[in-house]
Amino acid sequence: MRECRVKDFFAAGNGSPRLVIDVEDLWVRRDSHYVLEGITFSLREGTFLGVIGPNGAGKTTLVKAMLGLIKPSRGRITVLGMSPGELKHELHHIGYMPQQVLFDPYFPVSVYDVVMMGRTCCIGTFRLPRRGDREVVQESIAAVGLQGMEGKPIGELSGGQQKRAFLARAICLETSILLLDEPTAGLDMDSQENFMDLLMRLKEEKGLTVVFVSHDVNILARFADEMVCINRTMHLHGRPREVLGSERLKEAYRCEFDFLAGKGTGGGEA
Amino acid sequence: MWSYGFVQRALVGGALIAVTCSLLSFFVVVRRLAFVGMGISHAAFGGVALGLAAGVDPVLSAGGSCALVALGIGWLSRKGRVHEDTVIGILFVSAMALGVVLVRVANAYNLDLMSYLFGSILALSWSDVALIAAIGFLALLYEMLFFKELLFLSFDRETAIASGLPVLAVDYGFLVMLSLVIVVSIKLVGIILVSALLVIPAAAGMQLSRNYRGVMAVSALAGLASVLLGLYVSFHYDLASGAAIVLVLFALFLLSFLASPRRVYVRRRQAGG
Repeated sequence: MRECRVKDFFAAGNGSPRLVIDVEDLWVRRDSHYVLEGITFSLREGTFLGVIGPNGAGKTTLVKAMLGLIKPSRGRITVLGMSPGELKHELHHIGYMPQQVLFDPYFPVSVYDVVMMGRTCCIGTFRLPRRGDREVVQESIAAVGLQGMEGKPIGELSGGQQKRAFLARAICLETSILLLDEPTAGLDMDSQENFMDLLMRLKEEKGLTVVFVSHDVNILARFADEMVCINRTMHLHGRPREVLGSERLKEAYRCEFDFLAGKGTGGGEA
Repeated sequence: MWSYGFVQRALVGGALIAVTCSLLSFFVVVRRLAFVGMGISHAAFGGVALGLAAGVDPVLSAGGSCALVALGIGWLSRKGRVHEDTVIGILFVSAMALGVVLVRVANAYNLDLMSYLFGSILALSWSDVALIAAIGFLALLYEMLFFKELLFLSFDRETAIASGLPVLAVDYGFLVMLSLVIVVSIKLVGIILVSALLVIPAAAGMQLSRNYRGVMAVSALAGLASVLLGLYVSFHYDLASGAAIVLVLFALFLLSFLASPRRVYVRRRQAGG
């Protein structure tokens, strides 16, 4: 029964890409102020969306609202045709990588154990992993190029390898949408390049929709199909060239810069 | 020594306590709940004093106070703007202070109270052992049923919540199990020392293994060895059983620390620059 809703959702499109994320006039309040005000955009199946904005712009809040972890004060958010309440039972279709996984490097789990954690909601409460679960975990580990490292303690991996392991954990469900919150932060150029190549390959192979929050506009300019720029309110939504060439970007970041020449003149992190 | 009935009861009950506490200690250590264990066990003092003052079975009243404090720690740190360690610092000293007042009111400064504080080899009856077995079974069943959820939440709480795990059931369930196990352990190990059984076994296991399966195996063995050896020492030298058990446990931790491959690894890395 659990599979049906998402299958039906995709089947209803008769082959044409469906609107997998639909955000309409989204307002989110934290304490006494709004962190998101009137955000509206939608995303078609198979799209790579880059989300940019300065620190404190509400990017992570937007991702958490998509996961149903934060309740909107106003407006509507629909993911895979479901409201956040309905989505609670379908979270195994969404892979999530948080901004930072703050774990103890001596936590006694192997790469295999970490990836298997991703299957927890698929396995179900009171149940043990079955053969199918073990196979999916092995496939996911192989897909991110960590085969042979299954038994290695996660704390002994390099930063780039850890990110790969967390990506494997995010894709080892019945993933349709990947929500990645600054997944390349803290990686050197080579590791970033490898991570993006891997991500794009997985996106094509599995037909994933990707929401990629980042401060690195160069990466998004190369890989994203669409970009949104938010700073509490919605500033821009369009193709990377349109967004990055727009004067309104400076307004969102409240500083001067020139992306194409690669010269930051305002100290902004963009 | 083995022919004495009280020794047999202490050994069977002690072995059950050791295995249960040691297997729970893995999550106490990786979830950094060592202070929670200490807070809950010290809260038992208020409950024991209440029981002694009111003429109720102290284990029953201690059970109530431990469960209340455990749930209070969970609820206040979730709802209020107070950190978990601050909440524990508030609740357990308050429960202890209440205990001191009640003990004075009931004029219950006696041997009975001392055995609750530091444990006694003489304390267990067969019905206590049966209760330990029942609670131990319940706690380990809970840990087994929610093992993958507990592991995920302990490792990466944010992603675990995002994937829709039953966080409340897992968190509160673990705290309640912890308090029940603490309550049934205090007669043998004592209020002051029981938290050691919930921390040191896994800490020793973490020195010797880098996978949770190994950590839990070492932890159970260390817990079992410490209780059996501690009871032997307690019997021969007429010492409080809790203190003897904890000292053996500490010695085992030191041994595991010295033998730890992790230390060798760190030393090699430092030597290699």
